[in-house]
Amino acid sequence: MADHTQELRARIFLRSALPLVKVVAEERPRYRKLLFKANGVVQFTASDSEQAAWIELGDGTIDVKQGLHPNPSITVKFKTLRDLNTFFAGGTALPSLKRLAGIPSLLRVVPFLLKLKVLMPNAVPTDPAGKALKVKMLLYMVSNALSQLNKGGDETMVKLVKNSPDRIFQWTVEGGGPAAYLRMRGGQTKAGRGTYTRRRPYVHMIFPDIEGAFDVLTQKVGTVDAVRYNKLRMEGAMEGGKEVGLLMQRVEALTTGA
Amino acid sequence: MAKAEGLTWTVDDADHMTQAEIYGEVLTQLALKNEKIVAMTADLATSTKIGKFQAKIPERFFDFGIAEANMVAVASGIAETGLIPVISTFAVFASLRAAEFVRTDLCYQKRNVKIIGTHSGTSFGQAGTTHHCTEDLAVMRSFANMVVIAPADARETAKAVEAVLGWDGPCYIRIGRGFEPPLHKDLDFDFEIGKAIELRDGHDVTVIACGVTVLHAMEAAARAAANGVSVRVLDMHTIKPIDEAAVLKAVADTRRIITAEDHSVVGGLGSAVADVIARSGKGCAFRKLGYQDEFSIVGYPEDLLHHYKIDADGILEAIAEVVRAEFEQDENWEDED
Repeated sequence: MADHTQELRARIFLRSALPLVKVVAEERPRYRKLLFKANGVVQFTASDSEQAAWIELGDGTIDVKQGLHPNPSITVKFKTLRDLNTFFAGGTALPSLKRLAGIPSLLRVVPFLLKLKVLMPNAVPTDPAGKALKVKMLLYMVSNALSQLNKGGDETMVKLVKNSPDRIFQWTVEGGGPAAYLRMRGGQTKAGRGTYTRRRPYVHMIFPDIEGAFDVLTQKVGTVDAVRYNKLRMEGAMEGGKEVGLLMQRVEALTTGA
Repeated sequence: MAKAEGLTWTVDDADHMTQAEIYGEVLTQLALKNEKIVAMTADLATSTKIGKFQAKIPERFFDFGIAEANMVAVASGIAETGLIPVISTFAVFASLRAAEFVRTDLCYQKRNVKIIGTHSGTSFGQAGTTHHCTEDLAVMRSFANMVVIAPADARETAKAVEAVLGWDGPCYIRIGRGFEPPLHKDLDFDFEIGKAIELRDGHDVTVIACGVTVLHAMEAAARAAANGVSVRVLDMHTIKPIDEAAVLKAVADTRRIITAEDHSVVGGLGSAVADVIARSGKGCAFRKLGYQDEFSIVGYPEDLLHHYKIDADGILEAIAEVVRAEFEQDENWEDED
């Protein structure tokens, strides 16, 4: 069995990052074209863990599901979960391939997987569209990853969530930009897209525009300077902002393997 | 004589009736400036502290003996001449014994008469259930045209007295009896009829309180904060017209509401807040603290507040409960991907 840290990392890669291939398809017509007349299932798995996920291609659509598909077109199997994590973190880890007839499906998926590298800290797009995509994907991934920390048993997160009242941590890019939230209460968490409307957020991190969000999320500027230079506005409980900031760093450490 | 300390007081502290004393003092001062103000009581000048008025302005003071209904009827007639009668008696007599006269002679006629009901809730402690008054807010609130106010402490009472004298129409102020501990450190706060005072902001739960329970709500909020729960406290001094905007903001912001009052949970502050929430169509976790449709037992006021869970301990217990409460039937904890 893989150790707890590797299980947690895999959970974030498979449940928080991998599903973002759908965002890539939505935002980039060039990638959508790759899905034309594509049908098949690409399974990802590791020998030492029950964690697994598959990508399903369905003639113009792409979807991600957790677990083992009963009849995948191709299976990308790693010896260890550590190798799977290395692969998704952008490192070198060679898997074995089963059912080679599914290679055309895998080839359609590879560009999407490469595009996920935009999530990594060393990927720094300079064009506005690239920045906008990175911001959107980061917000979606971070909110989801924080929920995975709880569901995956991260000690700090579980302790925080266990006795938490109903609290919303909201991230919003103003001017029609992306938004995401994390809801927690009494041991449970939920990551969501958009704005949670049923109550005021406990902590609301508001970015005035994509540029500001990009600078903060890529740590080009620190939180204090971001507030000072109007790249970030914090509403709600300041102490909650600190908590979530530390947890976001925890997510980054897990995804980069730092 | 027992000495009041901290958050408690005793019925023996007859010389420390600060809430009543303040209103007696303020009323007298205002009457010295405004000759239209007349004071009335029903054999309770000393107990209700309107006797201060009697001592300073005896020509505008009337004691009707034990005849509350008669007093209200006369007040209505006097108000018709342009004077401003201020009636003071025990809350139980003002709101229950004289209820029909208050309704028909004051509210129906929209007479400019002010009623100060003292010894409300269970503040009369050992005097017993007959002298407790846990229904006055419900009764007075149900009368059209009536303004209903329950100040949190002596200083707020002073401001309430001043405010109702500037309001054209019948008003009811309910206060306690004894040495209610001060909530406000000074008079540097805004008081407006129908406008709640946010004493403390919070994100997780809102406690909406009136009268003596406001101070207990503040104590509970401070203790909850030590456990990581953020509690907003609204001093809802005006039960009618209630500050709907403050209630709806609390629902939108915290989604968990507790009301606390030294009164029955039927018809008082909790019911007024519930009406607002129900009309809004918004869902929230909701608890009403007060006397749960029962007659109060006899005891020291502070013991009774504790017994009925409307002191800081009881409110804190309710906070812990309501934070855990389920109220959304469509709860879904699956992450969106």
